[in-house]
Amino acid sequence: MAFVGDAGWGESFEPLAALREHFGFIPNLFQAQTAAPELIQAEVALLETVLLSSRRLTRIQKECILLTLAAVHGNGYCSAWHYQTLQLLGVPEDKLDKILEDHRAAGLQPVNTALLDFVLTISYDRAPAADEDVAALRASGLADDGTLEAVHVAALSDFLRTLADGLAVQPDFAAPGVQPLRKPRLREGKRTTLHLETAIPARLGGPLDALRSVLAGEAALRGYEKILVQLAVSLANNDANQASFCEGVLLSLHALPDANRLTETETALMDFGSTGRAEVLRQAGFGPAQMVEAVAAAAFAKLLNILYLGVGGGPPVELSGALQSLALRIASKKAHLLTPESRHINEIPDPDSECVAQIQAGKLDAFEELMNRHHRRVYRTLVGILGDPDEARDAMQDTFLKAFQHLDGFEGRSKFSTWLLSIASNAAIQRLRDRKPTESLDETGSDPEEVFRPRQLKAWDDNPEQLYSQTEMRRLIERGIMGLPAKYRVVLMLRDIEQLPVEEAAAAVALRIPAFKARLLRGRLMLREALAPHFVTKRSEGSAKGVPV
Amino acid sequence: LINCADFIAEIGNYLEGEVAEEIRASLEHHLKHCQTCTVLLDSTRKTLKIVTETGSFDLDAAEFAPVAQRIMSKIREGAK
Repeated sequence: MAFVGDAGWGESFEPLAALREHFGFIPNLFQAQTAAPELIQAEVALLETVLLSSRRLTRIQKECILLTLAAVHGNGYCSAWHYQTLQLLGVPEDKLDKILEDHRAAGLQPVNTALLDFVLTISYDRAPAADEDVAALRASGLADDGTLEAVHVAALSDFLRTLADGLAVQPDFAAPGVQPLRKPRLREGKRTTLHLETAIPARLGGPLDALRSVLAGEAALRGYEKILVQLAVSLANNDANQASFCEGVLLSLHALPDANRLTETETALMDFGSTGRAEVLRQAGFGPAQMVEAVAAAAFAKLLNILYLGVGGGPPVELSGALQSLALRIASKKAHLLTPESRHINEIPDPDSECVAQIQAGKLDAFEELMNRHHRRVYRTLVGILGDPDEARDAMQDTFLKAFQHLDGFEGRSKFSTWLLSIASNAAIQRLRDRKPTESLDETGSDPEEVFRPRQLKAWDDNPEQLYSQTEMRRLIERGIMGLPAKYRVVLMLRDIEQLPVEEAAAAVALRIPAFKARLLRGRLMLREALAPHFVTKRSEGSAKGVPV
Repeated sequence: LINCADFIAEIGNYLEGEVAEEIRASLEHHLKHCQTCTVLLDSTRKTLKIVTETGSFDLDAAEFAPVAQRIMSKIREGAK
């Protein structure tokens, strides 16, 4: 590795000696961080608590979780490490290969199958733990503290993998011969209501606090720079909770960046956090110790994200306006490796990539073709946010010009259309802010948990679309949608008018999927209220036969 | 047993066919007894149908053409 700093501690440095004792060797993962000894110390404490001390789960169960997650995420370093450890613990190679191929067909005990299903849900599908997951683990005979321990191990896996990727660590052993194939399930279960999180501080509090305080300290990087990396990771993972926490810390340090005025250092740190690509830092001139700290900060944010998903995700949190702008800014740079959703999207070739390549090669006319392909979606997105067709036409020009100016920096990590729509939303949100400070996308307005009470309860005509001409119908719908508060209008436009898949639409407005769906439902019900007077059946109007209210 | 508020909370998922079998059964059971939710479901379904099929907020090519020309000439100017 290019930047392993040999700071002269060697094996006399206590945490490294502890590692040799626990593993029989010093994993390269930690050798690579000798430029930051305090970090290693905090990381070893984390390993000791989560992996090396035994509670409900055995070491073999934990190593199986780590191996499965490393393999399914394609992490060569961690796969080789945990595979070797499991062999040393006496698990035969062919058994391990079977688990890697398909753990459900590997003849495991039900509890172990359920454990691996569970950690794949939170770490690979990145779905919040659902009641059904916890129930399945209970049915297999595992007590809830065992489930919680599995959450900790899954979070540790994300931590270790992020370090290994970011530091480009050479494997200690040969990689296992089997590579698993797994398609994301993308299910949205009902979040668990078991509130396992109450048990986290008691168990993990010490090591987490130690890591947090090392990462908040002024070392090779400034404290706020490490928080900035965590903020970018959290935004890229749609972890609004953690992002808001980082925002609070940055605000208290007077260091919350403005999305439109990022310094070069801030840009590099945020790009690294959102894409996981450490070469961004190297290119920006960061030194070895700074890189180690930035990578550890990213790893810490991933760990917190999995802990959060593992306990059901907690109550949804809205992003502030400042965070929404930052989220939109990084949406365009987000790497495909962060979420299964985007990985999925990336498997489909982008129909616009040829046009983009032509423009990048200087053939400007191809841009006209791109505009013709996308002007409808751009316009709808803009109208949705701005609520004003004329202003949307103005904003269209800004959007396309901005897209053209930044096309050189577009690297095809997302689809061109997604990138373009995020520019459009950004432009529209900025206009909204300049124009009308009262109508914001992030104000909560009414309590989201509050039950919506429908008022229009007369039955509708069987064929409402036949009551009006096409033009009248369009006008009614447009007026109805324009009358919605901005935050409902936007989600409704993206999902029902633009008909984007939920994942893409939620990403375009930087909302988690459950929060997006809740807004969408409210928007649809409000629109129904607005349209109802025009569509109730004549039979029920003013008659006693109407629906009882 | 579910009440009207539970039903409303699930309408979106129900319309998109995204509720688990047992939840769907209890939603449909509720519908049998609740005229209000029957109307609500029917009218929400019709709202969605109208909204997705009416072609609202369409900007036709003729309207966009002058905008596109303006943008292209700015781009070409910038390239010179």
